[in-house]
Amino acid sequence: MSLWSIAWKYVCGRWLASALTAVSVALGVSLILATFLLTRGIRAGFIAGTTDYSLIVGAKSSPTQLVLGTIFRMDVATPNIPYTVYEQLHDDARVERAVPVALGDAYQGFRYVATTTDYFAAAPWRRKTFTVAAGRFWGDDAPGQPTYEALLGIEVAQRTGLRIGEAFYEGEEMAEYPLRVVGILRPTHSADDRTIFFSLASYWEMNEVARSMAIKPLTTVLVRPKRLSDLPSLYREFNVNPETQAVLPSAVLLTIFNLLGVVEEVLRFVLGAVVLVVLLYLFVALYSAMLERRREIATMRALGARRMTVLVIVLLEACLIALIGGIVGLLGGHGVAALGAHLLSQRGGLALAPFTVSALQPLLLMGVTLLGACAGLLPAVLAYRTEVAENLAPLS
Amino acid sequence: MEQSAPAVLLQDVKKAFPLGHGHDLEVLDITSLALPVGSYTVLKGPSGSGKTTLLNLIAGIALPTAGHIRVSGTDLVILPEPQRDRFRAAHIGYIFQTFNLLAPFTALENVILAMCFANTIPQRAQRQRAVDLLARLGLSTRLSHRPAQLSRGEQQRVAMARALANDPPVLLADEPCASLDAATAQVVLKALHSICRESAKTVLIVAHDTAALEGADQVLDMRAINRTPGRPHGVERA
Repeated sequence: MSLWSIAWKYVCGRWLASALTAVSVALGVSLILATFLLTRGIRAGFIAGTTDYSLIVGAKSSPTQLVLGTIFRMDVATPNIPYTVYEQLHDDARVERAVPVALGDAYQGFRYVATTTDYFAAAPWRRKTFTVAAGRFWGDDAPGQPTYEALLGIEVAQRTGLRIGEAFYEGEEMAEYPLRVVGILRPTHSADDRTIFFSLASYWEMNEVARSMAIKPLTTVLVRPKRLSDLPSLYREFNVNPETQAVLPSAVLLTIFNLLGVVEEVLRFVLGAVVLVVLLYLFVALYSAMLERRREIATMRALGARRMTVLVIVLLEACLIALIGGIVGLLGGHGVAALGAHLLSQRGGLALAPFTVSALQPLLLMGVTLLGACAGLLPAVLAYRTEVAENLAPLS
Repeated sequence: MEQSAPAVLLQDVKKAFPLGHGHDLEVLDITSLALPVGSYTVLKGPSGSGKTTLLNLIAGIALPTAGHIRVSGTDLVILPEPQRDRFRAAHIGYIFQTFNLLAPFTALENVILAMCFANTIPQRAQRQRAVDLLARLGLSTRLSHRPAQLSRGEQQRVAMARALANDPPVLLADEPCASLDAATAQVVLKALHSICRESAKTVLIVAHDTAALEGADQVLDMRAINRTPGRPHGVERA
């Protein structure tokens, strides 16, 4: 019988106390892992969403609102800008690609986005690629000749149950303009998975105000300049214009990250306190177990177990409880991260990968086991110092 | 004919417990005590006469304040503690008054555990030896039972198997039948006596009941061998 199996027997022998202690460790590990995965995921999600286009042009408003609304579909849409802004950018020699975007209402909570086929077009500088899982892309229909064809993000298709060829609308006033599903996108792991895309011509025809306007409205234009050196001049020109503002998504990202940094700092303090409480709980559990078991320790010593042997048994017991708690905590942490990712995806338009496995998990497990051993050190020393003759006497 | 060295030999052994403020309580003062190899000795005496202390000293669990204790020719007093632990595991079996079985382990595991600590029996043979010992004591159907699932008589027999696990030449038993009924005590003592006689073990058993005296080579009275104030000195032959 190895020392591991002796320690394991003691863990099982006090299964309720061991389970409760392991659960407290698991809760701590879950919180740490989930916090790490979510904050890392949020950062990665923001970076992934904002790097394809260097400039966003929209109406004068909050730059953060413009980026969050356009890229992540988080905030309310900014006021409209005239379509001519897009035409101006499209014709600009400094611009490699300009993509018009009009943000509409929603169907069962999934945002309508009207744009052109350029939105989905591949380019060497694009991180994101769009392919269809079923059906096809719609075409750029001419103004006044809308086709009302819709392309669904994968999550929209999964959640709404809409299939190719099905027509849908939300609200009686839209019954006249039902959209028909022609394609379903493959996962993009971005807010686009939760978006319903259709053409600008369809959007303008569906929108009562836009129908009557001579110069059609847009919400934003996504801009990719040919050279990075053209960015400052474009940025300046559209900010000088009284109707528009140009926003650098990377600058907004920096603002968001600064805010996140403060939140992370607070979380670090909270997590530090959690770790401390968990360690104290583990220590108290092992210490009281050791006080209860002094007679058994003395018996082991009387049977010939050396002081170092009983010390190692108690340390292994602490390590085993911490390890079990750590493993359950890792599973729980991924579960909490998955829940957080789901909520962020639903409410924030950020697509996170909560099951990412990296060096973090084994490191966390090793750290928890080591901390468990530290918490078990004093009880182990208590076991080491147990005097045999004093503790062998009959209990009565 | 040359007489062999005794299995247990105590010379001028004293044991005192500190009371604080520079005062000690002397509980044991034995000039000489010898247990011949293969002998079966019963130790009697009233509560507080130092019986358990004497057993603890012979087992090397406690050290005397003065004097020497030799077990199988080894002076326990001069052995460093880790070596004394190893020596005890291999050479001395100890049966406690309250059995002291380890609660999370089964009967079989309790016996194997003693062999693990001594490490004198090859690991692959430990299980079979434990099974044989428990079967010999009529516990072959109780191998996987935990102490709480065993009767007191069964617990005592497991404790006996554990004490015999490493085949120690010396066996100490501290009132092994104190908490058993007369019939069970008789069975336990008979089994103990029989096993020890077969393998010529030196047995020192603390007991009050007459059943323990049957077949004893000598009966020691603590009041007679312990020379602490007010205690006369002597050995009663059975």
